[in-house]
Amino acid sequence: MHIPDGFISPVVAAVTSVASAGFLAICLSRTRENMGLRYAPIMGLTTAFIFAAQMINFPVAGGTSGHLLGGTLAAVILGNPWSASVSIATVLFIQAFLFADGGITALGANIFNMAIVGVWVGWILTQIVQQLLGGSRFRLPLAAGIAGGISVIAAAIGCSLFLIFSGTATATIILPAMVGVHSLIGIGEGLITASILTYLITVRPDLLPGDQPQLKKWLIPVISTLLVAGVLSLFASAWPDGLEKIAEIQGFGELAENVRFSIPTPFADYSIEGFGKIGTSITGILGTVICFGVAFGIVQIGKPNQV
Amino acid sequence: MTKFSIPFKLRVSLILVIGIALLKTSVWWALGSYGAIALCWVIFLKPSLKILSQLLGAELMLLSLLALPMGYEKASFMVSRSLLCLLIMNSFLITLPPHSLGIALKGLPLPTSFQEIILLSGQYLEILISEIRQMQRAAKLRGLSGSSGWLRYTSAAMIGSLYLRSLDRAERVYHAMILRGYQGKLPLESQLTRGDNFAIIFVIIITGLLTFSSYVKN
Repeated sequence: MHIPDGFISPVVAAVTSVASAGFLAICLSRTRENMGLRYAPIMGLTTAFIFAAQMINFPVAGGTSGHLLGGTLAAVILGNPWSASVSIATVLFIQAFLFADGGITALGANIFNMAIVGVWVGWILTQIVQQLLGGSRFRLPLAAGIAGGISVIAAAIGCSLFLIFSGTATATIILPAMVGVHSLIGIGEGLITASILTYLITVRPDLLPGDQPQLKKWLIPVISTLLVAGVLSLFASAWPDGLEKIAEIQGFGELAENVRFSIPTPFADYSIEGFGKIGTSITGILGTVICFGVAFGIVQIGKPNQV
Repeated sequence: MTKFSIPFKLRVSLILVIGIALLKTSVWWALGSYGAIALCWVIFLKPSLKILSQLLGAELMLLSLLALPMGYEKASFMVSRSLLCLLIMNSFLITLPPHSLGIALKGLPLPTSFQEIILLSGQYLEILISEIRQMQRAAKLRGLSGSSGWLRYTSAAMIGSLYLRSLDRAERVYHAMILRGYQGKLPLESQLTRGDNFAIIFVIIITGLLTFSSYVKN
């Protein structure tokens, strides 16, 4: 996902550079307090480890390969997203200047996607999912694995948006393509993150964060529903359901097209035209929010007045 | 060998690389000019040509794979541009004396803690590579280098074990540095002289004019 030089416009490059530099300055000031006797080697080694791991590509599909992004892994090992952002930014800096992996003019955008979006989405989701699973520290590898996979998709969406704003690609082509490929890379990221953390939590649990408080009860179904609608829906089968299949076989499927009045439906078949799987995800979340809003409204209207 | 200091050589290398990176796409005359400047810089630094060509060969293969889908002309420009950047930076790195990266970093206008992390990462990368070699040797001595050897290297236990072993060694190295007086401040070989500053300003002007005219002239 390293954007090379020439892929983004000067305006996007400038804006992302300023935003990344500002955010990194905040991260550095937070990290400086921690650069003590114990912490500095962990930070230096984690940075070197992520750098080495990013050099190893694994095949995903159709002649494409991916590599570990490492944002979630770094955040969990270092114990906070501030240091992890600095760590990943350091890796990207070295890669851009010494190995031409990622453009120098695109360094700001790459840092924004991978060191900020990738790290923070991974960290926040790790906390949420760990709390969702009960809060025990032994749930951390599973939570981080899920969060790591989703963080890769989030970073890919960020990368796509920069390319769209730069006029390099259109949304209908780049978004589905990037999300599709990075969903597979996210699976690899999740598996690698979860398995490394499983080993570390068994052998050196002192290196990793401890238990988390369990989520407030009402948040559990809300977040679970959003994760199912927004993430699991990406892996839904595209095959027709039982009735559609029988209609195809028996030959009465065309009856559905003979309607007297057609009502425009922007999200027909749970999709947005040209957006592919990401459209399914967006419609899933929208539908969930609308259903919740309508049900909540009905309850508010229908409930008896309190005396 | 040159008489210029490491911070001077690093700054000039970075100015050239940034100037090349900011070039407008498909302005071949400007890229050619930078190519000539890069060749002069390489002759000036006198790196080992064998090591340089090995590094560039490996990086060229990867760049080509990335650039191919973009179309012939754009891909050629992108690859040539990246190759020039790599030529300049690799020449600088190859001619850097061992363990002088910290001295080079001190010359950059970056926050101190960021410089320290880069320095430590470079040091610990050496430790990682050394630990990998030790683990490979230990596996070989135990007769574990069969056809499924790749599986061991990709297993979480191996990766986790590598991290923990490297961490133990990294902590020992860091404690040794502290005991020898390291306080998070990087050593500085020498300040830039007036002549160095004039040379750097001259390079900035040349690269600025070249890069700017790639946008104007076209």
